[in-house]
This record gives sequence, C-alpha cells and structure tokens, in this order.
Amino acid sequence: MRNRQEPSVVTHPLVHRLIENIEKVVVGKKREIELSLIALLSGGHVLLEDVPGVGKTMMVRALAKSVGADYKRIQFTPDLLPSDVTGVSVFSQKTMEFHFRPGPVMSNIVLADEINRTSPKTQAALLEALEEGSVTTDGETRELQDPFMVMATQNPIEYGGTYPLPEAQLDRFLFKFKIGYPSKSEELEVLNRVEKRHPIEEVTPVLTLEDIIDMKKDVKKVFVNEKVKEYIINIVNATRQHHAVYLGGSPRASIALMKAGQAYAFMQDREFVVPDDIKYLAPYALQHRILLNSDAKLSDTTNERVIHEVIQQVHIPAGKESVR
Amino acid sequence: MAKINSKPAGSVTHLFIYILTFLLLWEWLRPIPVITHTADIHIFVWFAFFSAILIYLRVPYWLIIPALLAGSIYGLHILFYEGSFLSREGGWQTVKLFSGEAWYNTTLIFSGEFAGLTDPFRTFLLFLLLALVCYLLYFSVFQTRKIFFFLLSTVVYITVLDTFTPVEASAAIIRIVIIGFFILTLLHMLKIQDEERAIGRRTASFFSPAWMYTLIFMILAATGVGMAAPKPDPQWSDPVPAMRGMVLGEGSGSGSGLKRVGYGENDERLGGGFIQDDNPVFTAEVDDASYWRGESKHEYTGHGWVSDPVYEEVGGDDLGYTKYESLTETEERQVSIEMKEGVGFSHFFYPGQVQSISLDNLSFYVDDNEGAREPLTFMTDPVGGRVMAETPEGNEITLTAYDLAYEDPAFPIGTMRTVSENDPQEIQDLYLQLPEELPERVADLAEEIVEDEENRYDKVKAVEQYFSESGFTYQTQDVPMPEEDEDYVDQFLFETQVGYCDNYSTSMAVLLRTLDIPARWVKGFTSGEEIEELEDGRSVYEVANGNAHSWVEVYFPEVGWVPFEPTQGFDNYAEFAEEEVDIDIDLDEENGEDFEQPDQDRDDLIPELEEGADDFEAAGSEGSTGGGGPGLAEMFTPRTLFISILSLVFLMVLYQKQSRLQNYYFLIHYKLLGQDKRFSTAYRRLLWILENEGLPRGEGETLREYAKRVDLVLSSQAMMKLTKLYEKVYYGGYEPDGEWEALQTEWEELVKSLNS
Repeated sequence: MRNRQEPSVVTHPLVHRLIENIEKVVVGKKREIELSLIALLSGGHVLLEDVPGVGKTMMVRALAKSVGADYKRIQFTPDLLPSDVTGVSVFSQKTMEFHFRPGPVMSNIVLADEINRTSPKTQAALLEALEEGSVTTDGETRELQDPFMVMATQNPIEYGGTYPLPEAQLDRFLFKFKIGYPSKSEELEVLNRVEKRHPIEEVTPVLTLEDIIDMKKDVKKVFVNEKVKEYIINIVNATRQHHAVYLGGSPRASIALMKAGQAYAFMQDREFVVPDDIKYLAPYALQHRILLNSDAKLSDTTNERVIHEVIQQVHIPAGKESVR
Repeated sequence: MAKINSKPAGSVTHLFIYILTFLLLWEWLRPIPVITHTADIHIFVWFAFFSAILIYLRVPYWLIIPALLAGSIYGLHILFYEGSFLSREGGWQTVKLFSGEAWYNTTLIFSGEFAGLTDPFRTFLLFLLLALVCYLLYFSVFQTRKIFFFLLSTVVYITVLDTFTPVEASAAIIRIVIIGFFILTLLHMLKIQDEERAIGRRTASFFSPAWMYTLIFMILAATGVGMAAPKPDPQWSDPVPAMRGMVLGEGSGSGSGLKRVGYGENDERLGGGFIQDDNPVFTAEVDDASYWRGESKHEYTGHGWVSDPVYEEVGGDDLGYTKYESLTETEERQVSIEMKEGVGFSHFFYPGQVQSISLDNLSFYVDDNEGAREPLTFMTDPVGGRVMAETPEGNEITLTAYDLAYEDPAFPIGTMRTVSENDPQEIQDLYLQLPEELPERVADLAEEIVEDEENRYDKVKAVEQYFSESGFTYQTQDVPMPEEDEDYVDQFLFETQVGYCDNYSTSMAVLLRTLDIPARWVKGFTSGEEIEELEDGRSVYEVANGNAHSWVEVYFPEVGWVPFEPTQGFDNYAEFAEEEVDIDIDLDEENGEDFEQPDQDRDDLIPELEEGADDFEAAGSEGSTGGGGPGLAEMFTPRTLFISILSLVFLMVLYQKQSRLQNYYFLIHYKLLGQDKRFSTAYRRLLWILENEGLPRGEGETLREYAKRVDLVLSSQAMMKLTKLYEKVYYGGYEPDGEWEALQTEWEELVKSLNS
C-alpha cells in the first residue's frame, strides 16, 4: 500500500500512551495497532488474514491488558458448537434451576482464531454477536459487554476443510488487514525482548475500560462535513460501478468508513474528518467488501488494486467547484 | 436484411462536423451551372447527399455499391432518358442502354480515346467521383480529423472561380469561412478531448458549452466586424485583363473599350463611371516622378471641355511651346519613352515644359509598317500644348519610342503670392471663359471658399484644399452622368459630391474662373509605377491606362502655368521652391491605383497655330485612392504605423503575460480584502492559480497531498499551512479567527514565487 511508509500521526494523548504500551510487546506494527484501536474506538471488529506466528495473539492480548479488559480466545474447529461461543444454560442440581454459563464471547476483547475452520452455524452465532452487540440463547437475549471487540483471524494458506466466510459476514468486519512478517531488525528486537522473559507478562493497564467508553463517546462527536460524507458515498459508489467488480460496497460499507474516519480523526486529536482520513482508511475498510467478477479474477486484478484505482479517481471535494 | 452496422462511430459532434463538411462539398457544386453547361445540378447534390448518408451509416460494401449504382442510374435516367423510372420502358431501358454505354466507353478508355466518351458515361463518372469524395471526407473527419486542406482548396476554388469566371462568390466565401471556422474548432475540440482522455482527465467525450459559446461568439464577432468594417476597393486591379494581355497579347490602345479607363480625346461630355484597366501604355526612363502631360483644354461647355487645336509646324529641336515665364526656375532634363505594343498615339506625352525631340531615337510606324527613318513633320498646338507628328504627306503615324528634352520647373511660392494679378489680355480671353448657363451658386461658393484669402496663390490653394475637406468622395463607379440641362460642375459640387479626377479638376478650374483667375484643364497621365531603379539614379516608370488623369493649371503672371491637384488622394509632384508654404507634398508616392479619365472615343485635332505661348509647368503627383476618404497614403504614415505596432505589441504582451497580470491582480485584490471570511475564496483562488500555472490538483488527490506536492515543487511550506487552515474551515466548519491575517504573507509569497 502506497502510504505504508508514512509515520504515525496519532497525537491524542491517551491513545498515544496506549499505543506506546502495546508497542512494548509488539515490535514495528504501529499501523496495525492503530487500525485495531480505530476498530475498538468506533465499535468495529477486525479480520486479520495472516499466517500463524506473526504476533496476532500477542497484539490482542497486549491491547486487552493495556486497558484492563476481559480477554478471551476461541480456537475455532470444525466441531465447535454455537453454544461453545455464546454460552450455555446448565441445570443446577442445587437450585433446581438453569444457570447460564456465559461463553467466551461474553467478554470485552475476543480473539476468534481461524474463524473459517468452523461450521457456518457457529460462524453465524459469532457474527450475530458482532453486529447486534448481543447474543440470544434459549430464547433470551443477553447484552454483550462494552467495549466489545472481536479480532478474528483466518489463515490464507490452508484452505482444506475450511468454510470461507460468506460475503454477508465479511461485511460485518470494520477492517481486514494483514500483520505481516517483521523486518530483520524488528525480528531481532523480538528475540531480544523474549530472551529472558516474555514482555506480555510485564504489561500493565494504562487506561481503564471507562476511559475507552468515554473515548468512544467522544469519537461520535467528531464532525463529518457533508462534503466528506459525499466523498465517502462517491468512493463506495465507485466500487459498485468499477468494471472489474461484481459486487460493490454496501451502505454498511459507507457507514463503516465514516465511523472509522471519525475514530481516526479523534486519534489525531482533530475534531473533524478530512478526506485524507477517508482516503487512508478506505483500502482497509473496503477491500473485503467487494467481489470481483470472473474476468477480473482471471486477470491480475486484486481487490486491493481495485480500491486503489477507485480512490485515485474519485474527486475530492475542496470547495466551490466553480472557482476552478 | 443483412446486418447493417447502423451504429456510426463518433459522437454527435462528429455528425455535426460531417454535415458541415457536406455543406462545403455543396459549395463546390453550386457554381458548376454558371461555368459549365451542366443543368439540373440539384440531382448531383442529392446524389452526394445520398452517398454521404450511406457512408455515414456505414452500410457494408456489398450493399452500398449496388445502392450507389442504382442511385446513379436513377440520376442518369432523370437526366438523359424518358419515361417513368419504374415503368418497363423507363428504368429497365435505362439500365440496358447504360450497360451498353458502359461497355462501349470502357473500350474507349482502354484505347485512350477519352474525348470520345459519351455524355451519360461522363455523368456517371461524376457521380462516382462525388461518392468517392464523400467517402474521403468521411474518412478525414472521422479518422484523421483533418479538414484544413479541403477547406483551403474550397476557398481557392471559389476565389479562382470568382476572379476568372462570372461566378459571384461574395456570399459563398462568407458561408465557407463560417462553416470552416466551425469545423476547424470542433475538430480541435475533439483532439483536445482525445488528449485529455489519454492523460486520464476525462473519461467520456463531451460537448463543451463554453467552447461552443465562445466559438459562436467569436465567429459572430469576426463576421460582424468583417461586414461592418469599411472595405477599400481592391488594391490590385482585376488581374484578368492583365493576364489576358500577357497571354493573348491583346493590346490596349487609346480609348479601347467603351467603359474602360484610359486616355481619350473627346471630353465634350464628361461624367459617368468607368471600370479600371491596368494595361500598360508606356514606360519612361526619367529622373524624377512627374505627371505626363498630353494637352490642355480651355473651353468649358457646361458638360465638358472642348478645344479646337490649331497646329503650327515646328522643328524637332524647338517645339515652340512655353508654359513657364521668367520667374520660374527650370532645369533641363531628359526622358526616354517607350510605348507598349499596340498602343497608338500620334502625339507626345511629356513632363514639365517640352523643349525638343531627339530625332535619333525616334521610332514609329505608319499604317502598320515599321516606320523607316523617314522625315517627320512635328506640329504643336501652342494653346493646348499638344505636340504631334505625322508624315510629310499628312499620314497619321503611331509613335513607338521617343526621347524628349524638357524643362523641369521649380515654382517660387513667395513670388506667386506677391506678383501682380494683371493677366495679359490674351490669357484673359482664353482662360476666363465660362458658359452662360453656369448656375450662380457656383460663383457664390467660390467666393465663400476664398473669402479669407488675400492673394491669388492662397485663393488657388483654398480651392484646391476645398475638395479634400468638404465631404467629397472619390469613386470611379456609380458616378452619375449629368442631365442635358444640368451643369457638370454644379452637379458635382452640390448634388453628388462623388466623382473622380475629371470632376475635381473641372470643378476647380471653373471655380477659379468665376474668381477671374485664369485656369485650364490638363489631361495626361500620373507618373505611373516605378518598376526599376537604374544605376545612374534614374528610374523606369510604367504608365498604364489606369494612370490616365486630369488636373488643373493656373496662370500666375511672370511665373507661368502652375499645376494644382484638386483630386482627393493624389499628390502634386510639382516642386515649389519655398518651404513656408503649406503644400502637402507627402512622403508617399505610389500606393494603389492611379487614375484616368473616363472613356473617350475619338479624336478631333487639326493642326493649327496659336500665338500665346504661355508658360507651363511640369507637375505631377500621383496617388491612390480607396473608396474616398484618406488615401492609403495617409493610412500608412509613420505615426499611424507606429501607433498600430505599439498597440499590437501591447496586446501581445498582454496575452503573453495574462496569467502574470492576473496573479498580480489577485495579489492586490486579497491584500486589500484581508478579512477572515475572504480566506476560503483566497484559498480557492490559489488553487485556481496553481492550476493555471500548470500545477493542477489531481482528481483523487486530497488537499493535504496536493499541498505537500506544491510545497515540494515550490520549496516552501506555505501551502501546507494554508491547507491546514482551509481544512479546518472547509471540512471542520470553523470560522477563521485572525489566522488568515497571519497567513496572508504566506499566500502572497506563494503567488509571487509562481510569478517569478
């Protein structure tokens, strides 16, 4: 991605502190940390597509520990049942009543590992939680905690025995991105850090959950100008009209892009969204939401490239056009 | 039906251009009936239209060829055959006849006998040609996008026809130019669209309204100015007679055509228009330009001038004719004259006051026989100054070349102002004559003109100047002929005020005579066109029929006859000795055409003698005239040229520097209007200026990215600062609070660095 080399611009003090804390554990992944925080602050979820062992779990755990959040990990397997995710009611001999035993989803931050390995039924149970913020078991709807964020991973290498996520469910993730291998020097740094003792053990909370909730409220107050909204819509629209695209971004994509933009602006300590925010976030927010047509799949075209083309072409509003 | 690819390439613009192109093609067909014996040209036009449509619709070849064939056979049927086309005797017969013809003509073609081709087959070939032309035009509009050559050849075609044939193309040329402008501009627009597509600025073709408005406005303005602007008569005379003369050797004798300009003999009835004729009459090698005098006339009848020359026989070495008296200084000069072939004059033309004829270089012929060196008798009319020669037997001769010695005068102005006005009696008798019917108002006008003048010279100058100031128009056509009971001078002075040299000179002479100033009417030629400068400082002048002219000579006691030039646009070549005088001897000599007198027919001279040898002058000037008003001469004075060039340069600089100037304007504009609320417009103006200066913001480029790029290019940081503020204002909805003032210098620096 063309702006991969750009330095971080986060200036909000609390967020900045948070990122620094996480970086004690995760080396050289500032951008991915930022994206995760954007998802956290705007109430979205993240799909990581990556090979094992690049630090996905460490990042999530560091994040959870830094904010003192409740953290759960679900390893998805083909035999996992929906109730293994959401929780189950068990009959208590003592009280002669059913007690609900919350599943792992009933926590603040959930790592859903290899989500494409489980059956659609179980996937659906998780994804309902993603969108609704609640789970329904035994006819009873239970609210999830706040904040709540799922970081799902899928392995792009092994497709044997997997159940690829359907479009409708991919759409529920705010972002999809890769973590990627560290550079040599970063990897050396990783080795140095874990030589004696794993740094995750030393991570202490720097924020409280209340701080996160407050910040989430503030994010919603970030101003989005009509022109910027128009720009968002134009981008999403352009994905629908692109010649290589079979299915373009949905209105939910527009909403996601706007919310992410608000969070990103907030992290930069800005009270309004500028097109740069949108342009920067669009690839992460859109590339998993479009479906290429068969011609494009046969050629070299990728989702990434389509999004890139779109954002290069969509006009950016900058004032009365009559002045041009 | 087969698959007809009915989707033509290109846009509406293309179609529009193609239609315009077809209109141009039509212009080619329009004049054909006038210049050839072709009738029913509309059939060809319809056929061309038919072909154009078929080609535009991209009808496949296997269909278009039969269709065109059928079309041309139908056309042939209408033109050559009888009966209804659809009847048995009609169309089918035509087809049979035509196939026979085609076969026959094909054999003719292969045997090279092109002259034997039959009319129907020729017509068929024309049809074929039209179809081909339509295809070529289609190709050039849609494929190569070049039409200029076709346009140019159309213009050439039409102008050539207009010049050499009876075709009247004034309207056609306007149509062509308008159509041509449209085609060229639209094609250019298409090209620009292509370029924009190539660099990705635009994805689809479009029809720019701004472009169209500008185009229409410019064309309207240009044609409007063209229509409204004054149009001088052609500065080059009609080339056809000259070419014909050159190619066919047609001569230009005196008084040849009825309505042609030239030197004639009969001036009894002046008036009416004439047409130009630039066939040369003679060439002369001479020191200085001067008018060529043929003779003068002194009796005004109310309709023209008559003379009853009385010749006296003289020797070739003393022609016995004097114009100048003691106070005029003269200088002896030589002139060699060579008449053009076919020009027949038996009398001489001379500058100044002719002295003698060199017998050595005299050549002539008698009755078409090359004149041997036989002796000639020279005869002079001492009154009119006409000098002629004939054989001793009295046979008329035609002069072909002669050398003359003459006196070149310089007139003393001071003297002319002060000399007595007592004219000798014989002068008064001859040169104060006026017809009795001359209306009173002529004399009244003369009094009015000279009421402020004291002496004869100033009076004469006042009358001479009168014509250039009082609304007179020089023109050679549409000059009315006076009625039988109308006085020629009166009509010109009070009724028409349009005319040429005869009107001016006659009127001046008559006006002067009413003031008791002796004056006479002189005819001859203006100096002609200098065609060669010789090494010894002399020049060769070519005098044409169009140079025929008339002017006025005024008598001053002890000075002699002094030439004056009342005709607008002509300058007197006569030399006046003192500088105090305000004679407008202008810098420019020959521009444009020269002049002549209207048609004359015959000659009525009888040799006879006359006593009064008056004094004469040589004078001359020449000039040109457009349609009245100032001559070209005045239009090309150094001053006007200077001013025009200056303003042209100014305009060019303005055009060249327009963006700079614009930027300066905005600099000042926003400096004065420094309030915060102007910030947004100032920033947008900056974007606009940057785009103008070749640094436009990309389509998908955010302001921040753009600012970064601009700052990189201009090595500044101002753009980013301004952009941050603008983002705040534009996307964040803030009201700037004093920041603009702080950033204003940055803004100015940016614009200035663009300007440098």
